[in-house]
Amino acid sequence: MQDISLHLLDIIENSVRAEAKSIKVRVINNVNKNRLRIIVEDDGAGMDAYTLQKAQDPFYTSKEERVKKVGLGIPLFKQNAELVGGSFKMASEPGFGTVLTVDFTLDHIDRMPLGNLKDTLLGVIIGHQDVDFFIHLIYRDRAAEQCFHFDTKAIREELGDIPLTYPDVIEYIDQSLLEGIQNTNMEDV
Amino acid sequence: MKTLADLKKIREKAQEDMKLRGGNVRIKIVVGMGTSGIAMGAREVMKTFLEEIAARNLTDVMVTQTGEKGLSSMEPVVDLIEEGKPKVTYGNMNPDKVKKVVIEHIVNGRVVSDYVVATGN
Repeated sequence: MQDISLHLLDIIENSVRAEAKSIKVRVINNVNKNRLRIIVEDDGAGMDAYTLQKAQDPFYTSKEERVKKVGLGIPLFKQNAELVGGSFKMASEPGFGTVLTVDFTLDHIDRMPLGNLKDTLLGVIIGHQDVDFFIHLIYRDRAAEQCFHFDTKAIREELGDIPLTYPDVIEYIDQSLLEGIQNTNMEDV
Repeated sequence: MKTLADLKKIREKAQEDMKLRGGNVRIKIVVGMGTSGIAMGAREVMKTFLEEIAARNLTDVMVTQTGEKGLSSMEPVVDLIEEGKPKVTYGNMNPDKVKKVVIEHIVNGRVVSDYVVATGN
């Protein structure tokens, strides 16, 4: 993975596979604390303590149908955060869901870029119409705080039986996310 | 700034549309979004499908994302599923190939055999 937004996509797909119906994604760019924080919280199947620990091991996968028993998604994300003075935490409760918190040191010279957050979010929102996404982008520095909130449940209520893949809806979501990303200075992080 | 009021307008337009042609989904597109697919460019493949749907105003197409299906060496992988026809799996996809599949397969109904890696279930 070349950037954080691709790792984020991978993590969200894990939540969907765990049959989450609601996924909260927070990206917090905190210049004061020199920290870029990603939080993904789902209400999926969750994991017991053993599975939670194994999920961080590259030679483990929950995908039983798979021939090659490797799952690199989580270990690589963890490694990429820890290599630049960040941290990676996962907490889970079977039957209730999983919360993942990943921190990156904002000004570390080897930190991978945030990348194309918009395409990650657009893809998961439209590609999983039966999942509610709550997106929260926050930018903080000494002078100001900017927030962007996007809630697909509210959008679906407004749309009724019109699918999110309807052409004008795709453009609406794309444009909304773009504005939110620009307003919270997440374009070139 | 986009607001929920914009959605009301879209909804009215879409409902008119559906009255005219019915709300049927003719083709379902499934983009493989497992770890290796993502690493090989599946997000750009998904994005290109969405752009093409919007640009060509395709209202009878559905797109979803799914996990890996054991075709890691051919990622990004995309399934096209049409009622009453065998499933077509395209492999080693990229944005240019997606554009071709949209024009040939989805719009004109001709399978792009050069990109097919599997058919049927």
